[in-house]
Order: sequence, then C-alpha cells, then structure tokens
Amino acid sequence: MDPFETLGIARTFDIDLAAVERTHRDLSRALHPDRYVAASPTERRAALGKAIEVNEAWRIVRDPLRRAEALLALNGVAVGEDREPPGDPEFLADMLEQREALAEARSARDLQAVRRLAHLVQQRLRDAEAELSRGFARGEVRPLLKRLGEARFYRRFLDEVSAIEDELAA
Amino acid sequence: MALFEIFDPKASPRPIGIDLGTTNSLVAYVRNEHPVAIADCDLEVLLPSVVAYLPNGEVVVGRRAARLASEHPRDTIVSVKRFMGRGADDPETRRLGPYVFVAPTGTEANTVRFQVAGPRVVTPVEVSAEILRALKGQASDVLKSVGPAVITVPAYFDDAQRQATKDAARLAGLEVLRLLNEPTAAALAYGLAKRQNGTFAVYDLGGGTFDVTILVLDNGVFQVRSTGGDSQLGGDDMDRAIAHDLLGALGFDAAHQTPQLIRMVLDEARKAKHALSDTERVEALVPGERRLEITRARFDELIRPLLERTGVACRRALKDAGLQAGELDGVILVGGATRVPAVRRYVAELFGKEPLGDIDPDQVVALGAAVQADLLAGQGRRDDVLLLDVIPLSLGIEVGGGVVDKVLPRNSTIPCAARATYTTQEDRQTGFEIHVVQGERELVADSRSLARFTLGGIPPMPAGVARLEVTFQVDADGLLSVHAKELTTGVEQAVTVKPSYGLDDAAVERMLLDALDHGEEDLARRRLVESRVEARRILGATRKAIAVDVDLLEPGEAQGIEAACAVLERAASQEEPGRIRAAIEALDDATKKFAARRMNRAIAQAIEGRRVESVEKEVEHAKGIERAHAT
Repeated sequence: MDPFETLGIARTFDIDLAAVERTHRDLSRALHPDRYVAASPTERRAALGKAIEVNEAWRIVRDPLRRAEALLALNGVAVGEDREPPGDPEFLADMLEQREALAEARSARDLQAVRRLAHLVQQRLRDAEAELSRGFARGEVRPLLKRLGEARFYRRFLDEVSAIEDELAA
Repeated sequence: MALFEIFDPKASPRPIGIDLGTTNSLVAYVRNEHPVAIADCDLEVLLPSVVAYLPNGEVVVGRRAARLASEHPRDTIVSVKRFMGRGADDPETRRLGPYVFVAPTGTEANTVRFQVAGPRVVTPVEVSAEILRALKGQASDVLKSVGPAVITVPAYFDDAQRQATKDAARLAGLEVLRLLNEPTAAALAYGLAKRQNGTFAVYDLGGGTFDVTILVLDNGVFQVRSTGGDSQLGGDDMDRAIAHDLLGALGFDAAHQTPQLIRMVLDEARKAKHALSDTERVEALVPGERRLEITRARFDELIRPLLERTGVACRRALKDAGLQAGELDGVILVGGATRVPAVRRYVAELFGKEPLGDIDPDQVVALGAAVQADLLAGQGRRDDVLLLDVIPLSLGIEVGGGVVDKVLPRNSTIPCAARATYTTQEDRQTGFEIHVVQGERELVADSRSLARFTLGGIPPMPAGVARLEVTFQVDADGLLSVHAKELTTGVEQAVTVKPSYGLDDAAVERMLLDALDHGEEDLARRRLVESRVEARRILGATRKAIAVDVDLLEPGEAQGIEAACAVLERAASQEEPGRIRAAIEALDDATKKFAARRMNRAIAQAIEGRRVESVEKEVEHAKGIERAHAT
C-alpha cells in the first residue's frame, strides 16, 4: 500500500499535517462504516476495507517515523528492524546506559530524573527528524536508514518514559 | 415479546440510547429531532444500577434494590460495572464490596462470579443484563416498540470489558447497533446542541470510571484526537474515602467491619458527598446512633489525591493530541461526580478555563447515545454528522523475552487494522503461541493479557525460515479480532479474541437459552424473523445503489443482480432461514464488483472535493492579492 496515494498527497517527508488531516476527515465522511449501516453486506465490507486502508494511511503519514519508513520502502530500501543493519556499537552502548539510568530513576521514584533523561532524548529525536527531513529533501535516502533506526530507539525510550511518568504520578 | 413488536404494523421500532453507568443507568430516544430521557412510572429518569437477588428467586432492579442493599449486602450487587471483564483471580475485585465470590471450576471461564440468595451464582454479565432488561422495559412502556440500541462504555474500557457489555445486551434481548465511547456521546449531545467548531476536552468522572477525551469538531465530524483515563476511578472512590475516614474516626478496625456496617457507612458517605455540593458542613448518622460532622474542607482534602490522578490522565491526553491546555476552545463536564464543587474548581485550574456544564451531566451521555442510535438506524436526517473514534490503549504481541511488540498504537482511528510478521526461534518449531496484550508498557508482565492462542500444523523448518503474519483488526465498536497466517505454507487461523477474562460464545448462548421460556423453539423463530428483516433491508439497499450508480454497471451485470434479488425475494417469503441466508450470500457475490466500483467512486469524489476546494481557496487568495495591488 502507498499511504500517500491513498490520501491523494505528494510523496514527501515534509507535509502540511493539518491539510492531510482534513483530507482524512473527508475520506472518512465518504467511507466510514456508519455511512453503510443500511447498505448490503458486500458494500459494508468494501467500505470497511477502504476505511481501514484510509485510517492506516493516516496513521502512517501523521507519524514522522512511520512516514519515513514508508518513503524508504517506496524508494526500494528494505525497512523493518530484522532487515536493517544493526546500529553502531557506540550508539547501542549509549542507549543501554540511558536505559539503565531510566530504570534506576524509576525504582528510586525520582520523577525529576526521569524527566531530565526524557528531555535529552527528546532533543536527539528532534535532531534525527530534522536530519530525515533534510535527507529526503535532497533525495539521499539510503543513508537515512541509520537515522531512522536511532529515532526508533529514542521513540521507544520516550514511550517508556510516558508509562513511567503515569506510574509515578499515580 | 420482540417477535410481536416486529410484526406490529402500527408501531415502528424506535432506536434507543443507553448509558449503562456504574451508579445509575438511563435510557433515551430522539423525539421530534431532540433527544429526551425516558422516565419510569415514578417519573424518575435515573435507574440506580443495583440488582438484588431475593431468596424466593425474584430479581429486583433499581431504587427498590438499592433499599435492600444495607439489609442484604451480599445478595445486592451495586456498581457491577466495576467487575465487567475482570478475572475471578483479579485482586482488585476483592476490594470492591462485601460479596461472596465463587471460583470458576473446570472448564468455566475465568470471570468473576457472585454467590447470591443462597445457591445462586451470577456473573457480572448477567447482573448487567438485568439492568438492561429493566431499561428496555421502561422504554417499551413509552415507545410501544423498542428498536436497536447504542450502548455507551467508558472510552478507557479494554477489549474484555467491551465484549462483556455486548454479551450483557445480547442476554437482555437487545440488538446492539454500536458500543459508543461515553465522552464521544457527550460531545455529540453538546456539539449538536451548540453547532460549534473547535477543539474540546471532555472530562468525564462517573461513578466508577474516569475518562478524558480530546476531540475536534469540524462541520459535523467529531474526530477524537486522543483519549485517556482510569477504568477504576470515580465517584464511588470519593464515597469510599469518606467512609474510610468515618470508620477511622469511630475506631473500627478492619476485623470489626461487617458487610452491613460497610454498606451503611458507604450510604451515609454518599449522602454526605451529595449534601456537601450545596452546604459547607454536614452530619453523618453512623452506627450506634452517633453523629459525625464532615466539613467541605475535609471532604476536599480527602478527594484531592483522586483529582490528582485525573490530572495525570488529562495532561497525557493533551500531550498525545499535540496540544497545550490554552489551545482548547472548551471543556465539557460529564458524570454525576462533576457536580462536586472541588471537581469543578480543579478542572478550571487544570485547563485554565471555566468548564461547560449546562446539559445535565447525569443525562448527557444517554442523550448523545440516543442521537447516535437515531443516526445509525437511519431515522435521523443529519447526514453530515459522523464520529471518528480511536482505540484507547495500544495493542501488541508478546515477542521473545517477555517484550511487547506494539502492533496498533493507542489513539489509532477506528476501524483499523495492522499486520506484523514474526519468525520461529527454534529449529523444527511446529507451532506458534500468540499472546495478545493491551497497554503502553514494554514488558508483557506490566500489560493486560487479552488472549492466547496457538497456530499449529506448521511443517518442521529451521529456525527463522517460517514467517508468521499476524493481523489485528479493530471494528467500529472498538472490538478486536486477530488473524494469524504462516506465509510459507499458508496455514492460517482466525480468532475473534476471546478475552482471557470473559465468557465464551457457548456460555452466552446457554444463558440466552435459559433466559427464554421456550429455548430452542423461540430461538429458531427469532432467526427466521431476523433473516427476513435482513433480506428486506438488503433488497432495498441493492436497488437503491443501482438507481444511484446505474452508469457503473457493466453490460449484463444488472440482469445477474436482478436475478439474485428475485431468488432472495422468493426465499424470504418462505419459512427456511437457511435458504434466506444462502440467497443473501448469492446476491452478495453478484454485487461484489459493483460495490468495489462504487467505493472507488466515493473515494475519488471525496479527494476531488478537497482539491476543488483548495483550488477555490487559491483563486480567492490570488484575487485578494490582485485587489491589494489594484488599490
């Protein structure tokens, strides 16, 4: 599936998210199952399939990392963690260290420390996304695979931070 | 009874909306384009969600049951919603009341079971079904013929809790049009009343659950941006906090707290909570004819930790929506607990603006559900209204080392689907165990287990060769089904997730048969009636589609479809549900390609409409520039 084609937008990394959200809303207006409650089962299924496709396209396009994955795949670069080269040992060692620090902060219930760690990784994620944006604009896609891999680590780290923040605040 | 209703030519079935609440439940419908709540014979709109099982076998629901609660605490189930979709071994359930629990035996599903009125054992699904039955009765007194229902659930309900709610409706003989998230229902009631566009937060503090939802209203589309909450936090917890305080002041330790005593103090606590919304201090009458004073300041202090918990969820929802509190156009209050002044103050402080509460917070959810039922049943003419909801929690699969691989992230718009592929870890592995979990944490141990199943029958291969593709699909009710397929051999298996903590289909079917007077016979008649209704609906829809898009038909296609229609019409006039089913399937096949072409046209029109609009905007913009240059 080409999510950009599904939403009728250009295949670029930099997009007008608000405009795409409106397009998604218009497509939903035409395809949502609620519109087909009185239709025949065939049409209901067909509409459901299309609605799912449109929602999947929107889920991919709205998220910078999934959007980058889709663009790389459309450029013939194999994506997916088991098909990408592993990260630099240095990078991995560094992430491991950050992880340990996070685990320590969690068991010490130190919300401030958790937020400090999150702030640093947040910055690195923003940098990685900016680099993805520049790379796609220049058309040099293959080297971006490494940035994407790193960005995934940052994202997962921040997801875990969110869950820990909830846990500590509760 | 449902059978006669369908055949009654005078009364057409009216769709209803039901708010199945922790403390109170109510039913509403749309009258002259406006949603109204239906009162019972005492002119009361709220039905206490209390079910009492009497020794003589009688089942009592509502106010009368509530009065029995302190006398028969173990046989009177209050706040059953908090037990929905929970496992018998869930430690949380023990905390929630003075009940006698029965452990499941043998092959019985791992669900909570209450022992009531002597030997009788009931599940939360059956208790909820009693409440739904009472509401249906209340509705049929007013409407003559009760149609299908939209039933609301907390946005933060997980898959097991949703499934349990749907089972309860089936058991009560209600056709469910849709499970609708409570905050979205409330927004629908507000949005339609005010015809406003913008971004809103819905703060919904009910009896037993807390939900917060951030949504965008855009010309009739209600799009949920994010949702969060706590399915175990509500007004009941305020009662419990007061009760705990009272028992402490009285010097009762846990060993001396009998079920009667707890029930009595909880009732006093609730009364005190209500009174403190209007007065500064109140006296609670506690056992031993003693009176204890509770001030509003003390109450506010007691509930502060509960409010802080709602704050955490609100901040998370804002962050997920990519918004600051200041960017919201309004905050909507839902749920009886938002009447508490301290809650209103807290919300105003949290979001930096005074919340809206001009629709009765106890009724707003049911009113919204009635509107949605009206729309879905095709009775409403508001063609431009649409709800786009999301999944509240991420869905994933357990992979090596007890780690969760998130397949569908939270806040994905529904309906949705996603695929992920995995491989074998060991040589000659002939089966995959698939463990479906829900939640945001990385480790399976910290997540909620939804289902486990095994895909077997795979020929032995070296590790890493087999490729397992798992597809998750979530429908518009927010219910999950999982499909697994081994790609190199084509071995596949589909399951609608049977929640780890729920009743299986067979158990529900059994309860259904038990509930009907003439079991099998009634069920067969019901099937015939249902398939006839379905046949008529499909014939109508097919002919309408042909009339609208006649140009999309290929030569000869119309004749094929018309022939299949004729077969279905004949089958519907006969007595065999099986033949009607077969004819429906044949018509289905005949219209498959036509339906696909109609869908593509709908998409093209939606995208084209957007392009035309943006070109128009550009033209307007250019004209503006021209004018600016001209002057």
